[in-house]
Amino acid sequence: MMILTGRTIVSAIRPPYPYGPEFVGQFMFALRLCWLPLAISTVAFGYEAPGLQAINFLVLFGAPDRLGGFFVLASIREFAPFVDAIVLAGVAGTAITADLGARKIREELDALEVLGVDPIKNLVVPRFVALMLVTGLFDVYALLLGVLGGVIATLVNNEPLGPFWATFFNNASTTDLWGSVVKTTMFGAIIAIVCCYKGMTASGGAEGVGRAVNQAVVIAFLAIFAFNYVFTQVLLATHPQLTTIAR
Amino acid sequence: MNELVEVPRDWLDSMGDVVRFGARVVGRVAGLQVLRYTGETLRQAGILIVSSTLVIWGLVFIIGLQCGIEGAYFNQSVGTPAYSGVFAAWCDLRELVPLCFGYMMAAKVGTGIVAELGSMRISDEIDALEVMGISGITFLCATRLLAALVVLPFVYLCSIGAGFLASYLAVVQQIGDVSSGGFFLIFWQFQNPPDVLFSLIKAMAMAVLVVLVGCYYGYNASGGPVGVGTATAKSMVINIVGVHLISMLGTQIFWGNNPRAPIGG
Repeated sequence: MMILTGRTIVSAIRPPYPYGPEFVGQFMFALRLCWLPLAISTVAFGYEAPGLQAINFLVLFGAPDRLGGFFVLASIREFAPFVDAIVLAGVAGTAITADLGARKIREELDALEVLGVDPIKNLVVPRFVALMLVTGLFDVYALLLGVLGGVIATLVNNEPLGPFWATFFNNASTTDLWGSVVKTTMFGAIIAIVCCYKGMTASGGAEGVGRAVNQAVVIAFLAIFAFNYVFTQVLLATHPQLTTIAR
Repeated sequence: MNELVEVPRDWLDSMGDVVRFGARVVGRVAGLQVLRYTGETLRQAGILIVSSTLVIWGLVFIIGLQCGIEGAYFNQSVGTPAYSGVFAAWCDLRELVPLCFGYMMAAKVGTGIVAELGSMRISDEIDALEVMGISGITFLCATRLLAALVVLPFVYLCSIGAGFLASYLAVVQQIGDVSSGGFFLIFWQFQNPPDVLFSLIKAMAMAVLVVLVGCYYGYNASGGPVGVGTATAKSMVINIVGVHLISMLGTQIFWGNNPRAPIGG
């Protein structure tokens, strides 16, 4: 997988660049497949975990207005990126593995190589770049919709929205935002590499493709979570000002 | 625009079929027809234990670490580092452990079932079963559902343990703002047996959904090796959305009106 990563990056940078149309196609494909699952998942998640549970907790302290500050921490830094990555891995990543696996089984990849077409440059690189971009951009929507979930939770508890926004914007920092977007872009890269690798090494007929999808999604989930932990820890440790909640 | 609406319309189409199929499978389990194949059920249970438990525990462990550091930093910022246990207890037990369990069930067990049943369907093995007078739905799907219901409660309870251990490591050993005793005092005060039961109900609802969706897409796969891959990918979409919705409804029902905390009114 590491070798595939290296070769993908090198061949993405080195001219010629024949992968433009395929890139646009993959981009639209991921967009079309993922938008609705992502919207439903992030609103549901924002409403239940950081929304309901946290507001229950804060109401006990008589400080439901702090929910906004909590949302910066929970939604922007943590959960929006991770729901985003789970949806992308589960929906777009599995589709990529199924697609490439089918081509491998039907020996289309070998045929491409015989024709002198480099499968990495023409198949992997566009998917890699497209998935990185889509995951990064979807993160912004995931943030907005996650916060929408928090707004619904606030309204359900009959709390005014003004203090929510006030603490939200007091605590929101650019570092959090770029941290979130950079993190999801890296998630996209992980998903693309794992799924392309598993698709291109599928073997063993009908069951092989299914098993490749299975392994791809399991490895992608574990890799995402492990990377997420390391990234959050590094971000929090190197930017201590993030951990103070403003009033 | 039409292309954007295509996906949801596709869902609605298949949703009714999934429900009908799921009802049939549940009927076979509830009607005890599945007991004719106890051996197969036990074999499926064994496969579940051997192949899936470690991965599930691993994922839950990582999410426990995550809950731990977020909780410790959040409580530091409001000036109550001693209360990190609350965040860990709620985040682990109520929200993220069930959710991660659902994710990993979908990824490991759900897609595994689709791949297995799908390839059986493609190579006409299911038809062969029916010719031999064995009902495919009972023998393949109902046994898997029963195996999941038998094994998964225990797997899930252990994975709660893995999550708690990870949170403890992150909060007490790694960040170290609170002593071990102080952490556990708060930690155990803010949860009680009904909470565990609610969390278990949530996780089992997800598990049943994942197994049924996996069986549906595998049992009805068509179109050669490509079809199996596509069916696997499609099942993931339904599973992810379903897991989130179940989680949200569960939280709303169990904890929406009553935080079940030992302070306040």
